[in-house]
Amino acid sequence: MASPYRFIGKTTPRKDARELVTGRAKFLDDRKFPDMLHGKVLRSPHPHALIKSVSKSEALKLPGVRAVLTWEDVPDWKGGTPRCCRVLDRKVRYVGDAVALVAADTEESAKEALRLIKVEYEVLPAVFDMEEALKPGAPELYEDFPGNVVTPGVPFFGPKNLKEVVIGDVEKGFAEADVITEGTFGYENMPNPIPPEPPGVIALWEAPDSVTLWVSNQASYMDSVILSHVMEKNIHVRTIGGPCGGSFGSKYMSWQVQCYAALLSRATGKPVKLVLTKEEHLAAFTLRPGSRMSARVGMKKDGTVTAVQGTWLIDTGYYSMTTQSQVAVGCGEVQIMVKCPNWDLRPVIVCTNRSASGIVRGFGGQELKCCLIPLLSLAMEKAGVDPLEFMKKNFVKPGRGYFWRDGIWYTYRGVDYTKAMEKGAEVFGWKEKWKGWLKPTAVDGPKRRGIGVGVHGNADIGEDSSEAYVRLHPDGTAILFSCITEHGTGQVTNYIRMVAEVLQLPMERISITPSDSLINPYEFGPAGSRGTYAIGSAVIAAAEDARRRLLELVAPRLKARPEDLDTADGVVYRKDDPRMKVPWKAMAVDRTITGYGRFDPDYSLTNCMMTFIEVEVDTETGKVALTRVVNATDIGQIIDPPGLENQLNGCLGSAGIDSAIFEEMVLDRSIGRMMNANMIDYKWRTFSELPVIKNVVLETPFPSHRFHAVGIGEIATSPGPSALLMAVSNALGVWLHEYPVTPERVLKVLGKTGSGKGGAA
Amino acid sequence: MRSFAHINARTIDEAIALLRRYRGRAVLNAGGTDLLSTLKGEYLSRYPEVVINLKTIPDLDYIREDDGLLRIGALARLSDIVRSPLIISNCRVLADAARSVASPQIRNAATIGGNLCQDVRCWYYRYPRHIGGAIQCARKGSGPCLAVKGDNRYHAIMNGKRCFAVCPSDTAVALAVLDACIHVSGPEGDRTIAVTDFFGPLTNALRSNEIVREIEVPKVSGLSGQTFLKFTVREPIDFAIVSVASVITREEGVCTDVRIALGAVAPGPVRAGKAEEMLKGNRIDEEIAARAAEQALAGARPLSKNAYKIEIARTLVKRAILK
Amino acid sequence: MVVRTQKYTRKRARETDRISLTVNGQVCTMEVGTAPHQIDPAHTLAYTLRETLGLTGTKVSCDHGACGSCTILIDGKAALSCMTLTVECEGKRITTIEGLGDPGTGALDPLQQAFVDHTAFQCGFCTPGMIMSAKALLGENPSPTEEEVKEGLSGNFCRCISHYHVVKAVLAASCKGR
Repeated sequence: MASPYRFIGKTTPRKDARELVTGRAKFLDDRKFPDMLHGKVLRSPHPHALIKSVSKSEALKLPGVRAVLTWEDVPDWKGGTPRCCRVLDRKVRYVGDAVALVAADTEESAKEALRLIKVEYEVLPAVFDMEEALKPGAPELYEDFPGNVVTPGVPFFGPKNLKEVVIGDVEKGFAEADVITEGTFGYENMPNPIPPEPPGVIALWEAPDSVTLWVSNQASYMDSVILSHVMEKNIHVRTIGGPCGGSFGSKYMSWQVQCYAALLSRATGKPVKLVLTKEEHLAAFTLRPGSRMSARVGMKKDGTVTAVQGTWLIDTGYYSMTTQSQVAVGCGEVQIMVKCPNWDLRPVIVCTNRSASGIVRGFGGQELKCCLIPLLSLAMEKAGVDPLEFMKKNFVKPGRGYFWRDGIWYTYRGVDYTKAMEKGAEVFGWKEKWKGWLKPTAVDGPKRRGIGVGVHGNADIGEDSSEAYVRLHPDGTAILFSCITEHGTGQVTNYIRMVAEVLQLPMERISITPSDSLINPYEFGPAGSRGTYAIGSAVIAAAEDARRRLLELVAPRLKARPEDLDTADGVVYRKDDPRMKVPWKAMAVDRTITGYGRFDPDYSLTNCMMTFIEVEVDTETGKVALTRVVNATDIGQIIDPPGLENQLNGCLGSAGIDSAIFEEMVLDRSIGRMMNANMIDYKWRTFSELPVIKNVVLETPFPSHRFHAVGIGEIATSPGPSALLMAVSNALGVWLHEYPVTPERVLKVLGKTGSGKGGAA
Repeated sequence: MRSFAHINARTIDEAIALLRRYRGRAVLNAGGTDLLSTLKGEYLSRYPEVVINLKTIPDLDYIREDDGLLRIGALARLSDIVRSPLIISNCRVLADAARSVASPQIRNAATIGGNLCQDVRCWYYRYPRHIGGAIQCARKGSGPCLAVKGDNRYHAIMNGKRCFAVCPSDTAVALAVLDACIHVSGPEGDRTIAVTDFFGPLTNALRSNEIVREIEVPKVSGLSGQTFLKFTVREPIDFAIVSVASVITREEGVCTDVRIALGAVAPGPVRAGKAEEMLKGNRIDEEIAARAAEQALAGARPLSKNAYKIEIARTLVKRAILK
Repeated sequence: MVVRTQKYTRKRARETDRISLTVNGQVCTMEVGTAPHQIDPAHTLAYTLRETLGLTGTKVSCDHGACGSCTILIDGKAALSCMTLTVECEGKRITTIEGLGDPGTGALDPLQQAFVDHTAFQCGFCTPGMIMSAKALLGENPSPTEEEVKEGLSGNFCRCISHYHVVKAVLAASCKGR
């Protein structure tokens, strides 16, 4: 079938391609300002301590040092949900917590100054494990959080915001079950999304109460919103985004780094650049939340889930900004994946003395499912249910629904994903390869192959609000006003593509404003997979509004009604007689036309990603090789073929499938330090070990916007980790329930490691 | 990086004189791939005042044949060793070991002398100063080895003493089976150290102000099978969790000469002498290979989290024998 | 800061007062020293390129030689500019991402063009290093196999997983692909 579109679904070079391949793209650290100072952070050696005194006089004497700030010097700016985490506090709560800030003429003198700051601490007992933290008498991180339990709930999500999944009657559900399984399962390896570009900012404070920040973030408008909550209300915050060297959710919350630079700029009156080192990025920025679930599920022999009951512990590290949001979305997502009338799933967010957890793609749901699917798998094994059939049967269908993050019930009105799942299974060869639970697909000497499958869906594709303007010019060009930074998805080009399609204007004639919060309207940013539907809808609406105004304006010139006109290539013409036409210049050379578009949240659509995985495990070394991945989805309409392919291939890295194979932060719980805060000991996938990936994408039109598309990028990583665990368990014939499946763990379940001498942990 | 003075050495003697002059306040730089990381991390107790560049010493990057021996200058780059026809035809296991190091960019810069002298990868030892301060330990002269009670998944399963970091050098393992030795120069003159004697639990055998000058490798009979196996979490970039090098000569199916060394299990490469004896004079099959592998690891004493390395090492020894 | 008390050091420092290297075809002669405008002995080549010469196309990510973002060519070979001291580059021929293509006409190097055509990037931060590694590879081996391309790029970190498109782009820019 020929495409009805001129731009949508077509492969074109990305707008920023030339800048990127020539090195001319200005990432944050490539920017310089006259008189710019460099900021550095002195970090705590103790996981939990009170600062008794700080002596900064020696540091201040050092030539080139312009400011040294400690908790006593800074205003009471606080972040966190609820607001608990002071930007600099008298108490430090993890190894790496900020103790003092320095601004100096050069990075080296700032570092030298750090060495000269003398701090006296009163060391407090620390706690690193959630269950230990919940015990009576455990060290408490905050007075506001007795027992280290973080206050649940997200006021921003509305009065009924989702804090748990409690529906029906679980006792009745268990009574109806054919099999019941229970246990404790964790996804606690705290994988780190580590975008290549570290978090950083340049701040310029302009007296008395105005600050401009050059940020590197996927959602630069929201930085201004978040900071205005953190800082005093009278402070005007302007944020300017630029190309963002990866985020994967994480840089959405960069408020601490941003506040550090803002405070240093306020103290010195000069622009201050503060960019974290990779070590800081790994050890003192945010990680995926730890997740541990003790639960029981009831299932019928046909794969019907009758009850889910349990406690979900979430380790947020030393504070929470978004963990409650992740819990809310995770609780919504689990209902999208599992149809069950009886739930009693109670999350508890716990703070511990390690670096904070924050946003990572998969946003709560990946964390929850990585625990729940292994438990469901035990039940499926007992009930003799094929996991593919289970997932097909249970994933949300039109007419079914879920309580979403706002606590409100939504009836799903999107497409049925069964077809995509079946197509994926066919391409993967599931039927031929599936030999039953804990049975390898093939055995070749010490090498055993196994398969697994996972699924994930998120109703965030229509979350939150977006606004955009489209301005038309008499010379036949247009500008999109949207506070969007390119962070890798290619969406900036795609919004231009959407405007091009609406206006039938070549993409070269459309540009986009810098992502400056001062000139652009509200934009929640490309969080989750909301880019295509939510942001796209606002952009499309703005373009349509501009088009309507244009046609109304020139209609008299063409002696027609606006609805009888159309526009293409900067010319307005009569549909009944295209020879009757005027160029856009007819609007008048001293005029522009601006259209406005807005998207309001819609939680009645969800996306879906099913991931099939094949592994080969060497039973003599414990090495797990990922050999093949098939991703299957339906997204309504492909907007950008290579961009989509890239995003789906992203299933491996940024705390995705590889978080089940080798990605983890190693915390030594006897000293509270992250041992592998470097890019050699933190493992990431290289070119040498690429599995075969096949992406199966169906295009069943969605009732979303005029191009019938929904977004998918965020969840590429989410179904994979549990599928990998399943595949390795099947290959070995033994359940593995810990992430990642290191050689040590594989050899251990095979009984090939004797017990070692000594050692505490 | 904190500043330092930088001196280009023109001769080995000059470099030695500089080391003497600065008495522990100077460090040597060859490829720089390990040193710069050390300086940036600032985890050692003492930051050097002077960096002495060895790359300006002419003609120290040779790979040449000399009377049945291969002589490799300390500044020969790993990428040159990988490609050297002399090495490939006479001691291929060294080329394979060099090829397994890190990444193409690192191999273009790293030298064989530097690869042998690089510091250990223990993550307690290398914990960066900027995130709450460096960790003191036995290797740094004060404090216990935290790895013993901590996360020792990559640490020694043999011969650790006060320090349980393993030798990170891949080429050392290959050189150990090649019976290679290291020529060093110092203020008291030159001396020769067998590769297997070069490494110890707290430091290497270099005396103060000594410099590695040359690696001498006896040629291996063309009939020998040479194997280098390296187990890592990922293929490139990673340091070995376990590596095994072997040189095995068979005549009519009978093993006449066999040399096996294990890497990353101890402070230095370990020759599996008893396993070698077991194999010599015998026909090689699965059964004897498994027994020899068992024997090679007989002395292993794992820490709390690294017993898995024993099984991997056994597997690698067995596979190397059978290859 | 290092205090140069030793006479010997002072003498040697004078000898190496200046350093000359060729960057993208232009000879750059710079003073060595600790003043702000000088090349400090502790400056890495990445620092000099970015901060002193303003060539910010070279990216620094891990700054410890593990990620390949800072890859440039030294005498045609792939090198990590974050692990190279500028003072040790006397007489070297340095090529950075800015040195590819034709600055006069703005024409891209065929390799850059292949990256554009294959959308061989997502966030693009690792792209300059990736292209320089590929450039070195094609310089040594103009017709690599797919495996050789992967090996040649095995020291380059890409978190978005654009690897598959990068391999296609490099193969397309190789002699075989053209």
